[in-house]
Amino acid sequence: MLLEGLSISCLRHCYGSLMVQAAGLKLVSVGWAKFTGFPSLKASRFRVSCSAKPETVEKVIEIVRKQLALKPETVLTSETEFVELGADSLDTVEIVMTLEEEFDINVEEESSQNITSVQEVADLIEKLVQQKAQGES
Amino acid sequence: MRSFQRNFSVSPSCPLLPLQLPSPMETHVWFVLPAEFKSVSLLNQYMELLSPCEKENVLTMRGDQLQKRALLARALVRTTIARYQINNHVIDPRSLKFRKNVHGKPELVWKSDDGQCPSPLHFNISHTSSLIACGVTVNSPIGIDVEEKQRKIKNNILAFARRYFSLYEVEHLSMISDSEVQRQEFVKLWTLKEAYVKALGRGFSAAPFKTFTIRVKDATNSGAFEVAVESSDHPESLTNNWQFGLFELASSHYASICMEKDKTSDVAMRVPMRLTNTEKRLLQSCNRILPVAGF
Repeated sequence: MLLEGLSISCLRHCYGSLMVQAAGLKLVSVGWAKFTGFPSLKASRFRVSCSAKPETVEKVIEIVRKQLALKPETVLTSETEFVELGADSLDTVEIVMTLEEEFDINVEEESSQNITSVQEVADLIEKLVQQKAQGES
Repeated sequence: MRSFQRNFSVSPSCPLLPLQLPSPMETHVWFVLPAEFKSVSLLNQYMELLSPCEKENVLTMRGDQLQKRALLARALVRTTIARYQINNHVIDPRSLKFRKNVHGKPELVWKSDDGQCPSPLHFNISHTSSLIACGVTVNSPIGIDVEEKQRKIKNNILAFARRYFSLYEVEHLSMISDSEVQRQEFVKLWTLKEAYVKALGRGFSAAPFKTFTIRVKDATNSGAFEVAVESSDHPESLTNNWQFGLFELASSHYASICMEKDKTSDVAMRVPMRLTNTEKRLLQSCNRILPVAGF
């Protein structure tokens, strides 16, 4: 789910609108099952959903490893989908609950039942953490 | 319901033994234990039964054990269905075609004169790291879920239940004082709920667990249990259309089956799922199948 032409450091600026030139942007892969559409690239402003910090992704990976009792040699990246790791729905929900406790956030039930990859859950956490920080400030 | 454990001995020289189709009220459950499959050459033969897409899916699994499990699951489905020999035709497991419904549930497709149509044979699979099960019915959607009896829940069970289960189910669990019994009841309840959403064809993502209640009740005071589902989200949907069976497999797993009640039977008449055992060789594996509820 990387947008080619944008580096990761740009994506860390969450909740801003990114001004990009349409010509420099090429969608490389669309992996979101729930993705309903991409805003027209003719528009000069569009919002990109927040891509999680590496530390968040790492924390997610650590918790996933523990929940699924993965062998240390099993490779786990942000792109990894839970189904590839043999996680069933009970595992996924347990992972979400553990992450909620870890990050002190609340994931809506509908969202938690739809998570399929490490990146997805890390992005969701990042969003909720930000929302919480903004709500408390 | 008939349950078997069958040892694979499929090879090009050894044809699959045919099976009789399940009758309308029946579910056939087949299961295998991955640990019993050690021969690499045999596993390679099973790989040859899979479609290119299925092979690819197997190879995306991370690690040998997961790949083996994914492979055996598809091989179990293909060889089991092929044995049912619809219309007495010998079927090559490789020739079976599958597709996914809108929610991703795999279904068998039948080629007919005017293209493809859904097959009267329905199936569903479920697996853990140590067991793969496949349930088969005729003309009834089916859902099956298996979990290891010893499965440990990492979160607090009641906190988990309050998040994801219905009020009635939370109350049912909170009344159990022994934590080990509570954990077991939780796991059983989970399998029942999973079996239901899989039978619906919607799966976990599309049918939030909070929106329906599974009740296990002692219906006749005779020790026989009844399992029923109520939907709070869609009260108009006919949840009394579904029947459940909960049992133990291979002494190590809880398994739940959900299938539609026979529509031709009198709605008022409750016919519990039957566990039948008419073949002698089943007697050996019979002690591996223990009904818990719904019979």
